[in-house]
Amino acid sequence: MIRSLLKLVSLSLLFSQLISTVNASDLIETEFLIDKVSSGELPPVIDRLPEQPKIVSFSGEFEAGQQGGQLRLLMGKQKDIRQITIYGYARLVGYTPDLSLEADILESVDIEEGRIFTLHIRKGHKWSDGHPFTSEDFRYYWEDIANDPDISKGGPNKKLSIDGELPVVEFIDELTVRYSWSQPNPFFLPALAGASPIYIYKPAHYLRQFHKRYQTKERIAELIDHYKSRNWVGVHVNRDRPYKATNPDLPTLQPWVNTTYPPSERFIFERNPFYYRQDSNGLQLPYIDSLVVNIASGKLIPAKTGANESDLQARYLRMDNYTFLKQAEKRGHFNVRLWSTAKGANTALFPNLNTKDPVMRSLLQDVRFRKAMSLAIHRHEINQVIYFGMALEGNNTVLPGSPLYKPDYQTSSAGFDLAQANELLDELGLVNRDDRGVRLLSDGRPLEILIQTAGESTEDTDILELVHDNWLKAGIKLYSIPSTREVFRNRIFSGDAMMSIWSGMANGLPNADSNPAPLAATSRYQYQWPQWGQYFETSGKGGHKPEIKEVNQLMQLNHDWRMASDKSEREKIWHDMLEIHRQQMFSIGVIAGVKHPLVVNQFLHNVPMTGFYDIEPGAYFGIYKPDTFWFSEVRR
Amino acid sequence: MGSYVIRRILTMIPTLLVISMLVFVIIQLPPGDYLESYIAELQSQGESVDEQKIAFLREEYGLDKPIYEQYFHWVTGMLQGDFGYSFEYSLPVSEVVGDRLFLTILISLVTIVFTWMIAFPIGIYSATHQYSWGDYGLSFLGFLGLATPNFLLALIMLYFANVYFGTSIGGLMAPEYIDAPWSFDKLVSVLEHLWIPVVVIGTSGTAGMIRRLRANLLDELQKQYVVTGRAKGLPPGKLLRKYPLRVSLNFFVADIGNLLPQVISGAEIVAVVMSLPTTGPILLSALQSQDMYLAGSFLMFLAVLTVVGVLVSDLALAVLDPRIRLQGGLEK
Repeated sequence: MIRSLLKLVSLSLLFSQLISTVNASDLIETEFLIDKVSSGELPPVIDRLPEQPKIVSFSGEFEAGQQGGQLRLLMGKQKDIRQITIYGYARLVGYTPDLSLEADILESVDIEEGRIFTLHIRKGHKWSDGHPFTSEDFRYYWEDIANDPDISKGGPNKKLSIDGELPVVEFIDELTVRYSWSQPNPFFLPALAGASPIYIYKPAHYLRQFHKRYQTKERIAELIDHYKSRNWVGVHVNRDRPYKATNPDLPTLQPWVNTTYPPSERFIFERNPFYYRQDSNGLQLPYIDSLVVNIASGKLIPAKTGANESDLQARYLRMDNYTFLKQAEKRGHFNVRLWSTAKGANTALFPNLNTKDPVMRSLLQDVRFRKAMSLAIHRHEINQVIYFGMALEGNNTVLPGSPLYKPDYQTSSAGFDLAQANELLDELGLVNRDDRGVRLLSDGRPLEILIQTAGESTEDTDILELVHDNWLKAGIKLYSIPSTREVFRNRIFSGDAMMSIWSGMANGLPNADSNPAPLAATSRYQYQWPQWGQYFETSGKGGHKPEIKEVNQLMQLNHDWRMASDKSEREKIWHDMLEIHRQQMFSIGVIAGVKHPLVVNQFLHNVPMTGFYDIEPGAYFGIYKPDTFWFSEVRR
Repeated sequence: MGSYVIRRILTMIPTLLVISMLVFVIIQLPPGDYLESYIAELQSQGESVDEQKIAFLREEYGLDKPIYEQYFHWVTGMLQGDFGYSFEYSLPVSEVVGDRLFLTILISLVTIVFTWMIAFPIGIYSATHQYSWGDYGLSFLGFLGLATPNFLLALIMLYFANVYFGTSIGGLMAPEYIDAPWSFDKLVSVLEHLWIPVVVIGTSGTAGMIRRLRANLLDELQKQYVVTGRAKGLPPGKLLRKYPLRVSLNFFVADIGNLLPQVISGAEIVAVVMSLPTTGPILLSALQSQDMYLAGSFLMFLAVLTVVGVLVSDLALAVLDPRIRLQGGLEK
């Protein structure tokens, strides 16, 4: 009975949509909010949308849908609710599925000379509590947060400065804000579009009540006492967490708003009544009324997903769950899809060029040794044994989907060739062997390579087990050392680690405009040269200066890229850098293109059949706009 | 007796002080601190880290202070009922733990009752019918329960309960009842889920209890007063209940000391595997992420309960068994 009633409702919804297509400009009131609108608690939909809303149109496998329903998701920890901020992906400017940037929350952005950015806010755009969203919210961030001596001790977020230079920020009128630098800043818009973006706007009307500048001393003292904080900054910072979504009172521009105060095992996100996007039929987005995030132990999530407890799940699922999920597909009323991942290599070996042991260091710094190690890895075997032959075998470099891809980058010195590996090792003077057949170093020690693992996945140890057998044939003995992630990193930073296994380039699908810094020694989190990276990060205060010619070339190219004025020049620089990596093998990629399983409720539409699942770029589901996902049958 | 009790209570103070130091030092032993594990987590997931925010948090959480200062701050706070702040949850520790305490106690109590209900009759039966088929058969079952890894049993039972009864996997209630006010339906849902952890945690406990009860009872059954009672014509049931069974219960009272902390902590590993909303998983993840005040305060709480529990069981034993009291007196 109830079911047929619901069908009736959905039919009538469909019917109303048919009418609306006749007159596309008419807006249709959202069913979910109708009571609140009629009681006057909320204004009608026409007043909730900006004057120029972002209108989403559909083509290809995507189609306009109906509102309603509840989407269930599983997360492993309470902190994971920040994923909803990533999935929601409402950003000032955002990436489209083909990874170009477009204005999103903003109506438009004018760019002059790559250094002056004029941001235009949509007229009538409102926060989730109905308060207007204006340049005041940008001013509040810039003057009362970024430049407040108490909140930001070191000044505004480093990502806003280029070569140490901060922008000049002007608030031209209610709807216009301008950021300008004296030199081009190619990082500004990508930082705003990131999965974890920099927030240069904050709900001023809400946060002001916690700010010392706007409150009396007594009030501040009361707040500190009430929130049991150390000082007023603590109060302010803890209320102001747009990314973590832990404060239901904080107004937002996201499609769904958290309504549950932590701690909880179940978080409910409800539709933002003032959301700025609508479909071409006059329905305000998001289509789905609410998201329910259930927290369960990460190890149970594949099993729970298989038992139909999630409508859209990718997090905490792995390739080795694929067969189980496929088997549960029918019983669970869902589809399992395989999306690709965007990492340059899902697994790569990082020889630590800064390792403490002088003999090993000079060996690891020799490109012939790195090549020999790569040639002695049987990638095809690893692919067949662990990944059902569905992954890509090759170096840690750009993926075939990137406009910068060349087959040579991926395959050079990545084939299995023991003879050549042995030849290279002999050439290095490692000719003596011990009774196990392991080569001896120049000081008589056996050539034993200890590879650190973060101890988190059995995949790494499985791969190392396979590498071990073939390396032994080349006279290299491999030991894997599992530890915890913190210990793992500290060993690498300090140079105690000889080599480590981790994932490769984070963005395997760059274009010429993507930042090439990950290819140069720019961060201590690059495990092949942590100390050179630190040297760059700290502007020479910590770490060491790179001592290899090719690394210094990379540093120079990275610098040139930022100064480059046109795209073809940037493209050339990217290729130069990729070529250096191809020749030098600073990291040894093992496997790339490992698929990620994705479970989608069979009634959930507009989730693409194929896509890529990665945080940066992609924001996981974000660039596929989850606010346009819809249910064709609402759950009983 | 009075002075004995006072002396025992006084010695608890230095004991707890030493425990608090040990707890604090051990939590701090792994390299790095909470913020470093936090940075590591963010980076491994490709999220950006704002160094300034980290510096701010370090100051806000007092992690920039020397370790003895942090310790002092924590201990004096605890004396005033302030258990500190959980970094991971951005909430005071009492709020994080408070919610889960009730369900933890529920599971533990039901499990303890379950264990007793199974173990007692079996223990008595196997002692009175020593070396019979029943004794061997039941002991075998008990050992099977002890030998099966809890987490494995938990996973298997979860799977079958889901396939055959449609019970949602993990947790203590169907998701829609979480945070809902208590109702009859919610209670039913809790009961539907409760039996799996109870059976899983209970099976390992029963074997131990069966064996201990059996051994103690067997000792007593050989004694002369039992033979005398039997010779004088006491009915076997009454004889058993009145004399040897009561004497053999000493171990049971001595166990109370361990029981109290057990009730609060729940079985951590099973709770993690089954994703139960109890305190066990919180403790484990707090230790992993070095959320030191959450882990530390919780461990301290357990320590207090253990120390109190041992005192209670000592006193109860003294009341129950005159022999124990006499020896205590001689020592003085």
